[in-house]
Amino acid sequence: MTQHTQNPLEHPEVQLANGRAYLGSFILSALLMTAGLWLTITHAMSPFAAILATSLLAGVAVIIQGYLLLHMDLSHAQIWHTVAMVLFLPLFVVTIGLTAWMFHGLYERTMIMPPAMSSMSH
Amino acid sequence: MLVHLQGPWNPLLGRLTLQQIPYENPILLGTFIFAAILGVIVLGATTRYGKWGYVWREWLTTVDHKKIGVMYCLVGLVMLFRGFIDALMIRTQQAIAIGPNSPGALGAVHGYLTPFHVGQIYTAHGLIMVVFAATPLLVGIMNIIVPLQIGARDMAYPYLNALGLWLTTAGGALVMLSLFVGNFAHGGWYGFVPYFELPYSPGVGVDYWMWAFQLSVLGTTMGSINLIATIVKMRAPGMTWMRMPIFTWASLSTNLIALTSFPVLMVALGLLGMDRYLGTHFYTAGMGGNLMLYNDLFWIWGHPEVYFLILPAFGMMSEIIPTFSEKTLFGYATMVIASFAIGGVSWGVWLHHFFTMAAAPNVNSFYSITTMLVGIPTGVKVFNWIFTMYRGRVRYELPMLWALLALFLLLVGGMTGMMNAFASNDYMWHNGLFVVAHFHMMVLLIAASVFGAVEYWFPKVFGFKLEQKWGKWFFWFMVLGTGWVFVPMFFLGMAGMTRRLDYIPYTQWAPYLHITLVGMAFYVVAVLFFVAHLYVSLRDREKNRVGADAWGTSRNLEWMTHSPVPAYNFAFIPHVNARDEWAWRKENGIAELHAGDYEDIHMPKNTGIPLFLGLLSMGLAFALVWRIWWLALLCLVLMVALIIIRSFDRDTDTTIPAREVERVERAARDGSSGSVPPAGVLGDAVIATSTVRSGSGGIGGNTTSPRPSWAPRNR
Ligand code: HEM
Ligand SMILES: [Cu+2]
Repeated sequence: MTQHTQNPLEHPEVQLANGRAYLGSFILSALLMTAGLWLTITHAMSPFAAILATSLLAGVAVIIQGYLLLHMDLSHAQIWHTVAMVLFLPLFVVTIGLTAWMFHGLYERTMIMPPAMSSMSH
Repeated sequence: MLVHLQGPWNPLLGRLTLQQIPYENPILLGTFIFAAILGVIVLGATTRYGKWGYVWREWLTTVDHKKIGVMYCLVGLVMLFRGFIDALMIRTQQAIAIGPNSPGALGAVHGYLTPFHVGQIYTAHGLIMVVFAATPLLVGIMNIIVPLQIGARDMAYPYLNALGLWLTTAGGALVMLSLFVGNFAHGGWYGFVPYFELPYSPGVGVDYWMWAFQLSVLGTTMGSINLIATIVKMRAPGMTWMRMPIFTWASLSTNLIALTSFPVLMVALGLLGMDRYLGTHFYTAGMGGNLMLYNDLFWIWGHPEVYFLILPAFGMMSEIIPTFSEKTLFGYATMVIASFAIGGVSWGVWLHHFFTMAAAPNVNSFYSITTMLVGIPTGVKVFNWIFTMYRGRVRYELPMLWALLALFLLLVGGMTGMMNAFASNDYMWHNGLFVVAHFHMMVLLIAASVFGAVEYWFPKVFGFKLEQKWGKWFFWFMVLGTGWVFVPMFFLGMAGMTRRLDYIPYTQWAPYLHITLVGMAFYVVAVLFFVAHLYVSLRDREKNRVGADAWGTSRNLEWMTHSPVPAYNFAFIPHVNARDEWAWRKENGIAELHAGDYEDIHMPKNTGIPLFLGLLSMGLAFALVWRIWWLALLCLVLMVALIIIRSFDRDTDTTIPAREVERVERAARDGSSGSVPPAGVLGDAVIATSTVRSGSGGIGGNTTSPRPSWAPRNR
């Protein structure tokens, strides 16, 4: 077992705590989410464009929260968190991407739905 | 209640009524009597010989990775036995219920099992074998061996380790409980929607299936976090990435798969749970639900899962084959790359489990090709093993026999997998026995490697070798059983027989089904030989004692410390100079263990909290199955309370004094049990004895229990 300190305040992760960053991240995320919600309920864009736009907003929110809230950077204490995040990205693209691709073709052949019910078949 | 329940419900007992106890079914009644007698014998013997203190202190509260690993393996073995009995029942039913004139008994029109009962048996068989037998056995062996191979004193998170064990055990226990209270799902181990939705499966079976599955998912995910952190952060000085033993590499790859795929299953099952409990419509037809989403999510986990199972098996083969070929592993670097290539590709093939769902042709082609790609790294591995044996001094001892059987089964399973990989082929035999025979070749390969690994590492963990005579009978009867059961099964698949039949309409298939039953008889005999194997080994253990390097030709760090391994693994953390460090030391004549200036060793302290969390999670799952809301809430509140109590506990570590280390080391070096020091030096016997200790701690104020013994157990 590695020797480690019993005082939680001395852990490097805890030392990263930063009230201003938390507040900033909270406000920015709230703003981004409001924007996404507004885009969706006002139908300001075509369904496909709305999906793209909200995904983009979500991506920006992820980066902001990763940096400001989870303090992901290249420092010694945090590097493995960042590596894990980066490694996760290709998986995310593969699973979501291939699933979307499969459903796209599938809907055309099996689930003939009224256009309003299916946004993925466009 | 947010959903419409069929049948009675009351606030006190939920859906639980006396009619839910299947006492009128003779098979289940017999099982219950068998289990009850067994339970009474085990509990009675523990009390009679005053072993409760020992069991509590050394096992139930332990955070020692070796003991946790042993308990994982025990859980796996028990569930393997249950799964085997299920298989026996399926095969006998299918050997009887052929053709309209076949006899019926026990309420069944044909055979002796009703369709409802057969359904539960094959569902339980599949789920148990995949997540409650193979997974615990593999996780258990990784738990024991990985820290030893990298020169660590424990896992990175010993407490989490125990928690993972008890959650998995709770899941397995829940499956067992469903035998006697209520029933189990009867639609296949991977579930179907909308069939598994509440309106179509109104009973508790699907709920049992779902929560047991969910518990195992939690346990395995925690285990994977632990193993990854251990491998990344706790390697001994000098152990660079490219000096890591190959089994450790395989474990890393496999746990990366687990960590990334099990959460998907958690979501897939979670959405089904929301449908069944809250009335949402994720998987219903209509209301915005999507039937196909379930298949997609399930197999996004399901295919990586099969590689989660096979990679540790490959790792075991890669350890056994060099040891018994007396050569270094051929193509170490390619082996590492292949392990990660398999892990990587496994993420892009899942749709081959539902080629027939009517995805677009280019989608099916894409997945056909990615599936075939898996063959490349697998082929690399096969050739590496063969080249390792080539011009080696091959010794056909038991571990090697099992590894060679695994190699053979891999060829059969891999080739037939390739045949499945053609979507055009799969359209003909999907959901048929050909597929079933394919994946049984693969899972039997895993079983063979596990048996090989147990034979191989047993002396390290317990200090004596298993005997070879009955072990060889066991091996050869397993070979016979496998041939007689699965060769006819491939033919039946080719003949068009579909899976999960409770009645077989074509009498032409009868000869094949009868041959598979003969194979089952061989398996039954094999199980008896296995019991004899264990019994004789235990009886003759004094004769079969071994030193640190049990096989004489082993190569890695785990063979450097004593057999059995002391609680702290290594008195000094070894410095690693080479790949195959132990072989390197033997070649350079520095394999001798010397006494030295021992230092205090810092270790985690035992705790009963993970066990209680496991019990409570089982209570929670049981309450959710029967919708006993007050009990669910109670268990949940207690769990949260325990977690909070534990987080305030500062007394979680302990130190083994240098004096004590020296004594254990000296005793182990002398290798004689005569030098066992008297009990009481540390307030406890060094060697596990049968004396009961008072005040076994637990959760009163202080969450840690008294110290276990440091010395290797089971002397
Ligand atoms: C060479 C590598 C492999 C290939 C090409 C392959 C291919 C396939 C394909 C195409 C199927 C779907 C057949 C169908 O449902 O119609 C399948 C099913 C299956 N395979 Fe494999 N496989 C491979 C390795 C493995 C391994 C390593 C395991 C387990 C450790 C495994 C276990 C399974 C299981 C459990 C199923 C069926 C699950 C079910 O329907 O219940 N396969 N395989
Ligand atoms: Cu697959």
